[in-house]
Amino acid sequence: MATSGNKNINAKLVLLGDVGAGKSSLVLRFVKGQFVEFQESTIGAAFFSQTLAVNDATVKFEIWDTAGQERYHSLAPMYYRGAAAAIIVYDITNQGSFDRAKKWVQELQAQGNPNMVMALAGNKSDLLDSRKVAAEDAQTYAQENGLFFMETSAKSAANQRDCRECNQYRIQPGWFWTDLLKGLQARHVARRTWFLVQF
Amino acid sequence: MSDLSQHPLIDPSTFDLIVVGTGLPQSILAAAASASGKTVLHLDPNPYYGGHFATLPLHDLTSFLNSASAPLLPSPPLASYDNQDYVSVDLQTRSLYSDVEISSYAPEVLQEHARKFNIDLAGPRVLFCADKCIDAVLKVGVNQYLEFKSIDASYLWDQNGKLVNVPGSRAAIFKDKSLSLTEKNQLMRFFKLVQKHLDPAEDGESSKISQEDLDTPFSDFLNKLRLPQKMKSIILYAISMADSDQNDNDIGQNRLLTKEGIARLALYHTSIGRFQNAQGALLYPIYGQGELSQAFCRRAAVKGCLYVLRMPVVALLKDKSNEQYKGVRLASGQDIFSQQLVLDPCFIVPQLFKLSLESLQDVSSRDVNRKVARGICITKHSIVSDVKNCLLVYPPKTLFPEQVSSVRVLQIGGNLAVCPEDMFVIYISTLCDSANQGKEMVRAAMNSITLLFVSDCPDSSSVDQDTNAEGKDLDLLWSALYVQESSVGQFGTVSFTPMPDGSLNYDDLLNATFELFQKMYPNEELFPETTTAGDHQDDGEES
Repeated sequence: MATSGNKNINAKLVLLGDVGAGKSSLVLRFVKGQFVEFQESTIGAAFFSQTLAVNDATVKFEIWDTAGQERYHSLAPMYYRGAAAAIIVYDITNQGSFDRAKKWVQELQAQGNPNMVMALAGNKSDLLDSRKVAAEDAQTYAQENGLFFMETSAKSAANQRDCRECNQYRIQPGWFWTDLLKGLQARHVARRTWFLVQF
Repeated sequence: MSDLSQHPLIDPSTFDLIVVGTGLPQSILAAAASASGKTVLHLDPNPYYGGHFATLPLHDLTSFLNSASAPLLPSPPLASYDNQDYVSVDLQTRSLYSDVEISSYAPEVLQEHARKFNIDLAGPRVLFCADKCIDAVLKVGVNQYLEFKSIDASYLWDQNGKLVNVPGSRAAIFKDKSLSLTEKNQLMRFFKLVQKHLDPAEDGESSKISQEDLDTPFSDFLNKLRLPQKMKSIILYAISMADSDQNDNDIGQNRLLTKEGIARLALYHTSIGRFQNAQGALLYPIYGQGELSQAFCRRAAVKGCLYVLRMPVVALLKDKSNEQYKGVRLASGQDIFSQQLVLDPCFIVPQLFKLSLESLQDVSSRDVNRKVARGICITKHSIVSDVKNCLLVYPPKTLFPEQVSSVRVLQIGGNLAVCPEDMFVIYISTLCDSANQGKEMVRAAMNSITLLFVSDCPDSSSVDQDTNAEGKDLDLLWSALYVQESSVGQFGTVSFTPMPDGSLNYDDLLNATFELFQKMYPNEELFPETTTAGDHQDDGEES
C-alpha cells in the first residue's frame, strides 16, 4: 500500500511474469541503468528500492522481485499483499509468456488489492525480428483489463531516458514509469492507517 | 493431483538437502541451509505455505481440519525393486488432528467477508519483543517482509472470576489502580531483586539470588518473599506462562524452577520497551502467524532455495548398496536425490528403513506426551470493551476444579488484517492428557468468554459464571475446537521437525530447530552475519 505523509510516498511494486521474461533486467535498468546480457535466473536479488520525484512529491518504490518462487508457481500471498502497483512482464518473442502474463493478471485481480495499478510490459522489444506477440493484441488486452501497456527493452532502454541522463540523475524512468506514478496518484491508493511496529 | 504427471520436471534433480513441509521450523532450516550455501529443494503438498503453522482463509482451515483428522487407512509399505541401484519405499502418514468440531452460526455473514479472514492453525501464538524468533527475524533480515503490531493488554482471570490487568512495567505498576500501595511496594521490591540478580554489573553475592533458591520451585520462592496471592498468580501464569498448577506438589517436573521463572521474567521485562513503537511485551504479525513461514521461505528463495508447492512426496529411496537414504519419489513420479532429508512430522518412515533417530532436547519435550487442545472463535464482540488485541490467561483450576493446565486466550482484531474491521478472532489453547480433558477446558473458556461479552464492564464487576447468557449466539459467528498431537524434532539422515507446541511463543520450537541445523551441519554457523550484508542489492540509500 502506498503511504503518504510529507509528500513522501512509499509504494510496494511487485514484478510478475514468466521465468526469463526479463523481470529482473527491467528492474536493474530502472534502478541502476544497466543491462546484463545473460542475466542468470534470479537468486540473491529480491528487494530493490528506487526513489522518484514527481511534481512536488517523492515516491519511494519498494520493488519486489519473485526470487524464483514463480518458477513452479509457488509465490506466497505475502508477495501480493499491500502492493500498490504491479508490472506484469512478458517476452514479445514468446507467445507462451504472453498467455501466462494474462494468468498473472487474473491472479492479481483475484488476490491483490483492488486499487492496485497494473502495467503490462512487453519486454525485449529490441528483438523485433523474432516477434511472436503483436503489439496491437497486447494493447487491446491491456485496454480491456484497465492496464497500462508498453513495450520495453531493458537492453536498448527504448522508452527509458537517455542513459547519460540516467547516470546524471541516477533515476530515470521514461513515460512508462511516469504513467505508473500518475496512475498511483489518480487512484488515491489508500493511506495506511495502522500503527505498525517496524524495525 | 491428477495432472501431476504433467508437472514440469524439477531441475536439477540432486540437492544437498530436501525439506518437506513449509512450517516455520522447516522454513527456517531451508533459509539457514541456503544461507550456508547448500542447495535446497523445499516442497509442500499443499497449495499454500505454512504447513501446521499456516494462516488460512476460513473455508481452507475447515477443510484442512476435516481432512487432516480423517482416519487414514493403513496401507502396508510397498518396496518396489524397479531400479538399478535403489529401492523405493512408500511413505505413510499419520493423522495429527482429532476431535474436530466446527460450528458456523452465521454462514452468510462469513461468506460475504470470506476473503478477509486469515486464521492461524496453531494459535494462540505471539512473539515477545526480545524473544529468539524476533532475534532471528532481525538477524536474517526477513523483517523487511513483515509488519507487526503490539498486543494492547494482558489479563489474568483470578480465583474470584474477575479480569485482573497484568502490569507490564514499573510505570504500569504505579498507575494500576487495582493494586494497593503495599502490593505495589511488594511488587517493586520483587522486580528490583530480579533486576539486581540479572544485572551483570552487580557481582556481589548479596545481590544475587542464592543457588539454593534458584533450584527450588518458583512458587516456593515467591511464597518465601511473601508476595500476595494475586501477584503470585500474575507472575506465575501471566508473565512466566506456567502451564500446570504451581502450588500442586504432585506435578513434579512440571513445576517451574526459580531459575526458569527468573529467565521468563527477564524475557518479559526486556521485551517491554525494546522497540520504540511497541507498547507492551507482545507482538503479532499483520496477516497472521503464517507470514513468518512465508518470510523465511522468501529469504531461502533469495539465497537460491527452489520452491515447489502442491507436490507431495510419496516414497523414500533407499540405496541398495548401503541401505541408506538416497532420495525421495514425488507424486509426479520424478525421483530426486539428496544428502539429507527433513520431513514433516505427519510422516511415518516404514520399518524397512532402519533410521537411528535422536530426539532434540527442546524444553517442551517434557510435554511430549501431551496433546494441545485448541479453539477458535470469530465474534462480533471484544472480550474487553475498547481493547482490540489482548491476551487472557485462565490459570489452572480457575474455570473449574478439574482444569489441570492454564488456558490461554488471544484476541486479535480486524486492525491486524485477520478478519473484517468489526470482528475479532479469539484463539484458545491448553495442554491436556486426553482429548476429552482438553476439549472440556477449551469449552469452559469459550463459555466464560461469551459471558464476558454480555457483561458490560468486565473490568470492574465480577462475572457470575451461572448468568444465563441469552443472545450470546448472536455475538459468536463461528467456532472450532480440535485436538492436536505433540511431537518433538528428531535428527538422523532423515530428520523430523517438531509439531507446534502448547507454548505462547516459538522459543522452544526455535531451540529445537537451531539444534537440528547444528546437528545436520556441525561445521556451519547458523545464519552467519554476512547473510544480511548482501541482502538488498540496492537499499535506496545512494539514491
